Amino acid sequence: MKIDNRALIECAQRLAQACRENETALCEADARLGDGDLGLTMSTGWRAIASDSDEWSDDCSKIFFQVSKSLQRSCASSFGTLQATGFMSAAKYCKSNNLTQLSHHDLAPILDCAWKAMADRGKGELGKKSVLDIIYGLSIDLAKADIVDYKVAAKQSVDRVLAEYRDRPNGLGRARMFAEKSIGVDDPGMLAVKVLVNAV
Amino acid sequence: MKKFLNKPEDYVDEMLAGMCLAHPNYYKQPIPRLICRATKPKYEKVAIVTGGGSGHLPLFTGYVGEGLLDAASIGDVFASPSSDLMTNTIKEVDQGKGVLLLYGNYGGDVMNFDMASENVEFEDDTQCMTVLGTDDIVSAPYAERGKRRGVAGIIYAYKTAGAMAETGASLEDVTRVAQKTVDMTRTMGCALTPCTLPRVGEPTFSIPEGKMEMGMGIHGEPGIHKSELKTANEIADEIIDNLLPELELKPGNEVSVLVNSLGATPLEELYILYNRISERMSELGVSIVLPLVGRYVTSMEMTGASISLCKLDEEMKELLLAPAECAFWKV
Repeated sequence: MKIDNRALIECAQRLAQACRENETALCEADARLGDGDLGLTMSTGWRAIASDSDEWSDDCSKIFFQVSKSLQRSCASSFGTLQATGFMSAAKYCKSNNLTQLSHHDLAPILDCAWKAMADRGKGELGKKSVLDIIYGLSIDLAKADIVDYKVAAKQSVDRVLAEYRDRPNGLGRARMFAEKSIGVDDPGMLAVKVLVNAV
Repeated sequence: MKKFLNKPEDYVDEMLAGMCLAHPNYYKQPIPRLICRATKPKYEKVAIVTGGGSGHLPLFTGYVGEGLLDAASIGDVFASPSSDLMTNTIKEVDQGKGVLLLYGNYGGDVMNFDMASENVEFEDDTQCMTVLGTDDIVSAPYAERGKRRGVAGIIYAYKTAGAMAETGASLEDVTRVAQKTVDMTRTMGCALTPCTLPRVGEPTFSIPEGKMEMGMGIHGEPGIHKSELKTANEIADEIIDNLLPELELKPGNEVSVLVNSLGATPLEELYILYNRISERMSELGVSIVLPLVGRYVTSMEMTGASISLCKLDEEMKELLLAPAECAFWKV
């Protein structure tokens, strides 16, 4: 089943709204383990994406590239650059596979490319309780999902990964410096992805 | 905090504006925080782009000039520029022969330059290659030298790669020369007093009166030890003793020596250090080519100095001595 590019624009508006509504909660979650600006990064970045979506083309490869550029222009933080990296990898996936319009079957391989590109850029790895684990989880779970259950499967996937890692220490980024304190606490980057998935 | 400034948030932009007004023959700023040559090269060449946080003048912007760099992206004080700015910087100077990204090995800069490199490849098929300055021997052991930070020694790579690019060489050759220069350059520093970031207002670290920190990085990264302030000769000896093992200098070898002020240390004291370094090189039977003594890479008003040794082969020596000109360095 194809995903209409118009639907992507509407989705971007919903995600921007969700980030704005969750700005304080994400900042508070980040402040426990980092510098407390994650909510601002998410709301600023997705506001820019939604604002720029008026100029999106009909080519999903170019749309993902434009999302990446919007994030780069609006968010100087490393989480902004990591998200931009994920969307850039999606753009490259579409370009190299000559995709101009997405189908649901493309989501899992795109997410697989995204976590690998983000791991490479951030010098990170799986299993350290970071945003990489939740995107990897989505790539695995969506590959097995039935098309009619995609949104449900995605929500279940993020909850599964959050629960799996909650009682482990953080091993990447600034949060690794608070490894003991991070046990029993959700990773802020994972929570940011949950906000996005719930709004899709 | 005692600084000549208006508003802390305007520090970088007013500094860049002033620099371009003071040196209009060398620099222009087509968009905020992007500094490029005042006049484009007369012929097609590989472009060399650098970038990083402010607070280190003449690094990075200062080394834009003929025989050196083509452009620089500048961030806030001690903060990486955005990948968006880096993308625009690459596009500004790319002439279709490829772009060498030559900058210091700092996490934010690496992440953003890699992103920018992907942007221009995706949009314009622009080919970028990357060489990272990794000359600070204190920041990681030799076995993990890919993790070392870039400090003052990167200007040698600017010089040789810049000269190579002016010959019309390919991107591969310009990159090879830059990497060889980085591989042949070692630096170690010593700090006596800290600096203050304009938007912070407090010193970034503290060193008690009468003490020094050997091996400290240019953003106040921890060094290898704190001790009583030693004599200039003792400091020079300790740094040289740390730099020599990896360079394996033999009688008859040639090196360039950079004695660099981290900001507040005066030329007089740099020459006292150079006096001892010159003696040490003579004892080894090593000749010094193009000695550099002055403010080349600073940390605002930090008191301290770094010493870099760049071991030369014939190709590097020729490139080092080739003509080059910017507002802060003329060969």
